Amino acid sequence: MRVVIFSWEYPPRIVGKLAQYVNLLAGELVKNRVETHVVTYNDTFTGAVEEPNRVKVVRVANPVHTHVNLITWDLTLNQEVERAAANIYYQAAGDVEVIDVFDWHFIPAAVTLKNALGIPFIYSVDSLEDHRAPSADEPFNMAIRGIEWLGFFEAKKITVKSEWMRNEVVRLYKVPREKIAVILPEANSWVKDVRKVYEATTGGLELA
Amino acid sequence: MKRPLNVMMFSWEYPPRVIGGISPHVYFLSKSLAKNGVKVRVVTCDFPGAPEHEVVDGVEVYRIDSYKNPSPDFATWVYLMNLNMQKEAASIAAKLPEPIDVFHAHDWLVATSGIGLKHVFRKPLLVTMHSTEIGRRDGLHTTTERMIHETEAWLTYEGWKVVCCSDYMVSHVKWAFGLPADKLSMVPNGVNAHVYENLEKQDLREFRLKFALSQEKIVLYVGRLVYEKGIHILINAIPKVLSKADAKFVIVGSGYMQEQLSNIVKSMGLEHKVLFTGFEDEKNLEKLQKVADVSVVPSLFEPFGIVALEAMAAKSPVVVSDTGGLSEIVQHDITGVKVYSNNTDSLAWGITKVLTDDKYAKAIRENAYKVILEKYDWDKIAQQTRRMYESILGEYSKSFWA
Repeated sequence: MRVVIFSWEYPPRIVGKLAQYVNLLAGELVKNRVETHVVTYNDTFTGAVEEPNRVKVVRVANPVHTHVNLITWDLTLNQEVERAAANIYYQAAGDVEVIDVFDWHFIPAAVTLKNALGIPFIYSVDSLEDHRAPSADEPFNMAIRGIEWLGFFEAKKITVKSEWMRNEVVRLYKVPREKIAVILPEANSWVKDVRKVYEATTGGLELA
Repeated sequence: MKRPLNVMMFSWEYPPRVIGGISPHVYFLSKSLAKNGVKVRVVTCDFPGAPEHEVVDGVEVYRIDSYKNPSPDFATWVYLMNLNMQKEAASIAAKLPEPIDVFHAHDWLVATSGIGLKHVFRKPLLVTMHSTEIGRRDGLHTTTERMIHETEAWLTYEGWKVVCCSDYMVSHVKWAFGLPADKLSMVPNGVNAHVYENLEKQDLREFRLKFALSQEKIVLYVGRLVYEKGIHILINAIPKVLSKADAKFVIVGSGYMQEQLSNIVKSMGLEHKVLFTGFEDEKNLEKLQKVADVSVVPSLFEPFGIVALEAMAAKSPVVVSDTGGLSEIVQHDITGVKVYSNNTDSLAWGITKVLTDDKYAKAIRENAYKVILEKYDWDKIAQQTRRMYESILGEYSKSFWA
């Protein structure tokens, strides 16, 4: 099985808790015979990195250095994420089973890849804009919520880390409950549970 | 290639959505390409009342949801709109019975759509640069301007070839983004002379009276009311022209300088000699160009100058500032009058010369019309563009992407 993970943070670039989580998951997946690629962001401070395990990591930089806000930064970086993912796809002769996208940042790339190449994706929710910026109704927040909504709508499956988050996704985005799988990171069956979601998602998509 | 060439074009404007020169350019180019055996699909922004999908003169036009939520600012809107454009274009391209051969992007406004799909489908991207931020703003002064400039640089980097509409723009783009000379090509803009020919059979006297008294000559300006277009130079030249000839200055277009300009006109006491019409639809505009005694293009920065070309096609004598693409379109004293850029006296002299010397005016407009038919015919331009697609595909076929 070949999986590509999209995450805007990955060690050594650590912003919140997501980087360590994705790092741990990728390492465990490799041990469980899943060929795991991670596409993440490389800022100027990341420097050269030697990967400690067999996870294949591509760190893409943003071709546009000057930005007016996080959204323009994100929506230009997505093209590089697409390029990296397309390279993996073509080198594997089209054999990429699923893309696992962590949080909203690289949802646009996942949607384009789904529409263009028929690769299904999973939207793994770490946090939501409604919780990060409660009651903020600026156009900026609306745009991010719009991208989250797009992710929920286009994803084949959604994973969350708690029953509470599942309820929140249902409440805020009216996502059908059965589309959301709860993956408990503290459970002994954690990696098996993730694998199970991947396996249920694969099989490619009908383009027509 | 046995089957027709498949091209997907990205443009943020396409009729009936008309904001600047890209809309008519893409309309005529795609239509003429279709006539010359190229299958063109245009992906563009939606417009109230225009269908999501239609076939216009053999061209498939798709109008995508252009992000209508409030946006933090215009530049952010552009990238959000592109998110939708790219997503929808990806699904259109994937469902076609035959693959797209070339993606073609017009300006930074569709940069991320073109770049993303190039890599996802692994097909070459052709880029047309109609203008640049560094040229429009005469430098880069703000974060937004730098961001747009860097996006343009990225787009030209990702393009297999970069097309510009004038020799001036070729050298400008080469300088602005440090491109190698062999990556750039010049394909001029075209103009459709037929629409003006049809107007010759009509009696436009009644129409003309809506804008000027019968004894007044009409001096026409068409363009956005913004700094780079030099409209303030024309306004300042008005008293000098009026001292030699009786004329009405008809100013078509809108922009951030509108209020400031009409205040200047008021303070000069010339409100009865200047008419700000605002936006005019295509039909009225064509008629105005037909009845104008002189068309003025006083730009400070002008990548091409399609307005001058249209005026020449309408057989209206032109006075243009000697800058950018205008310098190449007009031959001084032969197909029009060239005046010093950013110079009120020179502009007033040029306008007066045309208004007071009928024989001269007649000669330049006749010569100009001949050049229009020879050099700026859309059919010829489409054939040039088609050859560009073919040469790109020839190079592409030897690459590891093929």
